[in-house]
Amino acid sequence: MSDDQSFFLSTSKSIEIIEGNITSTSNQNELSTLDEPIIETVKRDLKAVLRKFGHALIPRQSSTLLQQWDLWGPLILVTVLAILLQSDTTTASSGMQFAEIFTLVLIGSAMISINSQLLGGKISFFQSVCVLGYCLLPLLIAAFTNNLLLYLPYRSMLHIIRFLIVMTAFAWTMYASIRFLGQTQQPSRRMLAIYPIFLFYFLVSWLIILHKPSK
Amino acid sequence: MMFSSDGFLTDNNASSTNTGQTHVFTSFPNSAVDVDDERSENKSTTQQQSDLGAYGLPLPATANESAPEQYRMWQIEYYQKYFQVDTQQVLERLIGSMTPRPNKSYFDSTIRQNPDLYGPFWVCVTFIVTVAISGNIVNYFHQSDAEFQIDFSKITLSAILVCLYWWIMPASVYFFFRWRLNRIEYTFLELLCIYGYSLTIFIPISILWIIPIGWLQWTSTILASIISGSVLIVTFWPTINADHKRFSTVSILAVLFLHLLMAVCIMLVFFHVSDNNINPTTPSTTISTSTILTTAKKMT
Repeated sequence: MSDDQSFFLSTSKSIEIIEGNITSTSNQNELSTLDEPIIETVKRDLKAVLRKFGHALIPRQSSTLLQQWDLWGPLILVTVLAILLQSDTTTASSGMQFAEIFTLVLIGSAMISINSQLLGGKISFFQSVCVLGYCLLPLLIAAFTNNLLLYLPYRSMLHIIRFLIVMTAFAWTMYASIRFLGQTQQPSRRMLAIYPIFLFYFLVSWLIILHKPSK
Repeated sequence: MMFSSDGFLTDNNASSTNTGQTHVFTSFPNSAVDVDDERSENKSTTQQQSDLGAYGLPLPATANESAPEQYRMWQIEYYQKYFQVDTQQVLERLIGSMTPRPNKSYFDSTIRQNPDLYGPFWVCVTFIVTVAISGNIVNYFHQSDAEFQIDFSKITLSAILVCLYWWIMPASVYFFFRWRLNRIEYTFLELLCIYGYSLTIFIPISILWIIPIGWLQWTSTILASIISGSVLIVTFWPTINADHKRFSTVSILAVLFLHLLMAVCIMLVFFHVSDNNINPTTPSTTISTSTILTTAKKMT
């Protein structure tokens, strides 16, 4: 025992005592966002979302959508789309319709993401859900214009105009999502990964075309 | 990895999975292999290592073994083996499922080596989507403006019908073969493939079903079920033919009949089979008068 004690005492003399703060200077930026007012956080996130909207509308060669993915944009888009596609705003079935559209987009995105992963794509699940959600923006714009057009007096030309608007938006959406998601697959399987995306947006386009709000 | 009787390291897993397709030679005479050559080749490329391991040649102890990982059921890589197809292969299988050839079964030439789940799954989903959309379009033109609402229940109903058909038919054929023939002629996965691809022809037919002409709907349904049914029969023919003569005809007729039944069910449930032969005037005139009345009301 005494030997151990003396050993301990002798080694304790050579131990240096290090003092300092827990927070180091390299972490200064991340910790400081805790203290900022909420309006700053909201503004920052909102700017990021709006920037991604811009990327979805005009697909440029940038990796913002893929690398800094977030799910706020898709959530906002799907909610607004589901509200626009409600035909019965008064009765209880309107809540059911909202849930149906929401579930449809959710399950569709999930299936496409799993499919591209199974085919060996180099994209994670949430990145793909993010891209698919953001690329819904042109279809949302088409649904909005359709709703506005429905207030015009009824003419059969209107059907054709609405159809054309939605089809243009569909082509725009497909182009944007192919730009983003096409590169993540090997070339021999690219069509296999793109086809489900086509099917998904096709279904959503037809829901917009066939939508008729009750007067 | 274990030592075989003649002293070579063999990879048991690889040899057991290869037994169905190729014979793996695990015993070589010592003179045929220059061990030094094999070792230097092993160190240069990692890809050759797994191939050589499967053929039972000794792997050097220092090289990294790229043994296939055993993925678990909840990892997505576990299911990747069912999706090893390219676009070209899928297109070949789709076209093969629509063209019956009397002697050559497309199944043997395209699917048997590499059954996949991509094709059947997405064919079924496409079928569900086209049936749902076409059914809604038919309602759109049939009902007046005020009544029409998008019927989401059509999607769920068509999904249930198609998926049931796609899973129950292979299950029953599988158990039928097991009970009757006491051997597994086709694996369950291959049966899923066969039945999934057989639904391909109904996708354009479901778009044709929108046209409200009665005889067109019926003839297209019957024609489509005969074509895809005959592809099914050509696929199953070698197995069924070995059986008792009367029983084989009964089973073939059963396969055809169930196929036709599925198509007719979907057609009747979702699409208004226009009954031009029976009471042509009353249903159409009531609909047209109601539309005239509603448009008159809107204009005043």
